[in-house]
Amino acid sequence: MSNTLRPYLNAVRATLTAALTLENFSSQVVERHNKPEVEVATSPEVLLKPLIVSRNESERVLIEPSVNSIRLSISIKQADEIEKILCHKFTRFMMMRAEGFVILRRKPLPGYDISFLITNFHSESMLKHKLVDFIIQFMEDVDKEISEMKLSLNARARIVAESYLSTFA
Amino acid sequence: MILLESHSVIINDVLTDRFEKASRADIQFVDYDNVRFHLSTPESKTKLLLSMGIQCWPDLVKYGAREHLQKEYEGYLLPQEQTEPEYDVSLVVDLEQLPEGGEARSALISKLAHLKSTAMSSPFLSAFAEESSLQANYRDAGGAQQKDIAEQSETKGELKIVRYREEEAIYIQASNDRVTVVFSTVFKEETDKVFGRVFLQEFVDARKLNALQNAPQVRYSNREPPLEIRHLPGLHNGEDWGYVTFVLSPRHFANPSQAQQTINRIQLFRDYLHYHIKCSKAYMHSRMRYRVAEFLKILNRAKPEVAAEKKTASGRTFRTR
Repeated sequence: MSNTLRPYLNAVRATLTAALTLENFSSQVVERHNKPEVEVATSPEVLLKPLIVSRNESERVLIEPSVNSIRLSISIKQADEIEKILCHKFTRFMMMRAEGFVILRRKPLPGYDISFLITNFHSESMLKHKLVDFIIQFMEDVDKEISEMKLSLNARARIVAESYLSTFA
Repeated sequence: MILLESHSVIINDVLTDRFEKASRADIQFVDYDNVRFHLSTPESKTKLLLSMGIQCWPDLVKYGAREHLQKEYEGYLLPQEQTEPEYDVSLVVDLEQLPEGGEARSALISKLAHLKSTAMSSPFLSAFAEESSLQANYRDAGGAQQKDIAEQSETKGELKIVRYREEEAIYIQASNDRVTVVFSTVFKEETDKVFGRVFLQEFVDARKLNALQNAPQVRYSNREPPLEIRHLPGLHNGEDWGYVTFVLSPRHFANPSQAQQTINRIQLFRDYLHYHIKCSKAYMHSRMRYRVAEFLKILNRAKPEVAAEKKTASGRTFRTR
């Protein structure tokens, strides 16, 4: 692991752990409603200051806490066109399965590749430190997966080209 | 399976079966590039009719496909008037007059299974012939005049266009020391476009290897068509178009069998490229599926295990708190 990734992930982990202090909070606007405040944004007094942890200009995490929910958006490194398309495919693939990943948002925030929404119900039914572990693990693995996919594409292209051209020799 | 086969497996299998034992048949099937086949027994069990419909037939006829087929399938090819309607070429094989011996039969089967590639090979063959005559003329001219003058006025043969798919075409041009084959291909999807570029770049780079020095030179350009065909009207310039140029040198068609091999390979280039693009997409997909399942496992670890009701030996419930 490169030496800038570790502090980046540590910062995200610390921020996320601190932000994951959620409690049940009914809507102040509509009676008998309970909505993630960060999404509806109807009462500004329950929203906390959003925070960006960024490793470099392309890799950053936006954490928006509120009283009963927290939204976490990740921007994944995309160095070139191939990585961009692989990242897009991968995140789309995951978001289409958002009902399995209970904390995954179906759409990312504009400017980010993937977003998670953790409400107090999630943090009550799941172990908080494990949730943080999941996010960190995801951030680690997604970069690895994309670069591996890119390598395998290149390797395949090379084999394909060589075996085609070798039939002419 | 990395390389695609140049013959039709269905024709091969059906004929092998029918040559053993005659029976009725009425099979319609397709091959790459919208080529349709119809194999039937309209009159009797022993008379097999094999028809092929090929999109670029008008182009192929221009470059002598009919004559070439006539030569290759002597005695089997039906005249133009008797060709099955809606198809372009018909062959009749009489199972009672098959050649004797297993080897001759399998040679015939393989020849019939190569029907598509044989039909497609006529423009290539005529380009190869053109190249050798141009080369001979060039030598004469070079002997008579000063050499550099002759070099300046490079002679070029006719540009042959085979529109083998709706939008895509093969351009073949002979010149005094080479035959240039240009493929135009369209990538319909964003992913295909990016993957296609990776693959084509590897085709260009692969030739740098020592083992592949004999392979034809490959160039590719996207957006802009190469110089050889730039003057043609109706060419597409755009992000999703790719132009691949193969430069075949005379050693690739030095003798007839080598020429045929080169033709069989090169006409499948587009199919080969797109096949592998689709394959890598499928591979990516299965990989993503696996990875997402792994992520799901990690997430599910966050859910505390539901404490199952435990019983003591005497049958009382025992609750963990």
